[in-house]
Amino acid sequence: MIEVRNLTKRYGDTTAVDGLSFTVQPGLVTGFLGPNGAGKSTTMRMVLGLDRPTGGEALVNGKRYQDLDHPLRHVGSLLDPAAVHHGRRALDHLRWIAASNGIDRKRATELLEQVGLGGVRHKRIKALSLGMKQRLGVAAALLGDPEVLMFDEPVNGLDPEGVRWIRDLMRGLAKEGRTVFVSSHLMSEMALTADHVVIVARGQLVKETPMEALTQNGSLEDAYLELTSGRGL
Amino acid sequence: MKNALAAEWLKLRTVRAPYGLIAAIGVMIAFGATISWLMVRDYDTSSAAEQMKFGSADASVVITPVVQFCVAALGALVATSDPRLGALTAVPDRKRLLAAKSALVATTAVVIGAVALTLSIGTSWLIMGDRPPPVAPWDSLGDVLPWAGAAVLSILVTGLTGLGLGLALRSTAVTIVVVGVLLWGLPAVTPMLPSPWNMDASGVMVPYLVWEVAGVVNDPPLGPLAAVACLFIYVVVTLGAGTVTLLRRDA
Ligand SMILES: Nc1ncnc2c1ncn2[C@@H]1O[C@H](COP(=O)(O)OP(=O)(O)O)[C@@H](O)[C@H]1O
Ligand SMILES: [Mg+2]
Repeated sequence: MIEVRNLTKRYGDTTAVDGLSFTVQPGLVTGFLGPNGAGKSTTMRMVLGLDRPTGGEALVNGKRYQDLDHPLRHVGSLLDPAAVHHGRRALDHLRWIAASNGIDRKRATELLEQVGLGGVRHKRIKALSLGMKQRLGVAAALLGDPEVLMFDEPVNGLDPEGVRWIRDLMRGLAKEGRTVFVSSHLMSEMALTADHVVIVARGQLVKETPMEALTQNGSLEDAYLELTSGRGL
Repeated sequence: MKNALAAEWLKLRTVRAPYGLIAAIGVMIAFGATISWLMVRDYDTSSAAEQMKFGSADASVVITPVVQFCVAALGALVATSDPRLGALTAVPDRKRLLAAKSALVATTAVVIGAVALTLSIGTSWLIMGDRPPPVAPWDSLGDVLPWAGAAVLSILVTGLTGLGLGLALRSTAVTIVVVGVLLWGLPAVTPMLPSPWNMDASGVMVPYLVWEVAGVVNDPPLGPLAAVACLFIYVVVTLGAGTVTLLRRDA
């Protein structure tokens, strides 16, 4: 479970996240939806303790991420697949991550197979395609068999096959009872993936609702645009 | 901490840069040995009067600044070539991450320094044989150890300085330039200052501090202990700045 309480982040004059509160429940895919610049990435960065909140707090399973013992065994995340050392080989990349959290190094090989990168495990990351880097990032997120997963715009730049793969993966993870939190600026994508949505605009909560409730009157796209209209950039 | 250190070690040895730096040190040692050998050959064919004018053929004196620089670059890379997003997601306790990086850099610096000094002093020794001073600067191992110890200490200091600057400046290129200025640029300029500032300023530059720590210069501005303290201040200031940046700033 992820709990965000009154979370606020200001960068100088810009308020990226503005008193945001919501919870993300296990067993569901929760979509984190909002236009570009709505504060989704900033919120996720604060959940991971990467950025310090100006106010409020974000808890994972009741604790701040920084206070978790072996955090990767509780939370797996993929925020930016390019934030890796591109000169390192794929398998070595997973191995150091496993080592950092006392995870069995055999998991690294297993996960590479599981995401379909077994054949390129000795390739340097810079030689991998965008889709492969995304898969490597997913493998890193799954390494510690975490009960909470967080993905920031995971389908950006992927081909249809990659999009499908990510979607099935997230649905599968939720079915196993895990907490899956995934951001997107595309309602159409969320409609196919999410059970529940948290909609934000300009750093503020617009709506938190089960997916069906949104679809009851008219198209999703209309509902989304109506909810976020005038609140975008 | 054990896991964080294991991860840092894995990160270091699975990228190319450290091997390049070690190769550079190896090439430099071989080059130094060649120079020593050429000097000694020249010495042997010179007249007795000319022999007295020879400088020391100990190559470790020219190797040490190169090792200092390479190890400082290594420290910088441990800081800057590790994307913070990944590093801090895996080890969100920033103090622990810092401790792991510092321990890794310190250990690597001492090992590289000790091996490089042993190799370059050892080869110089073999090449010089039992020739007398000035071409051979030492009579016994006891003469060598203070210099070798001071050199290894300075290499440890420059490694941690590189790490601290890298964490504070967050850019490999900028850090390496600053390291170059600190180790080579400033010490080249300080002797040109008007007296007595030239002595005072030069006395706190890393290349001179090594001599002062070893106690092998006449009338140094700083004694060995003060020189060790001065090297320590380099670490405190740079690693302190790096620590503040890492602990305070968003990733
Ligand atoms: N490091 C930063 N410094 C200054 N402004 C930032 C920083 N990070 C994000 N912002 C601003 O915060 C707002 C929210 O950004 P972000 O969280 O990336 O939105 P989203 O992920 O929803 O597109 C944007 O206006 C962005 O420009
Ligand atoms: Mg974003």
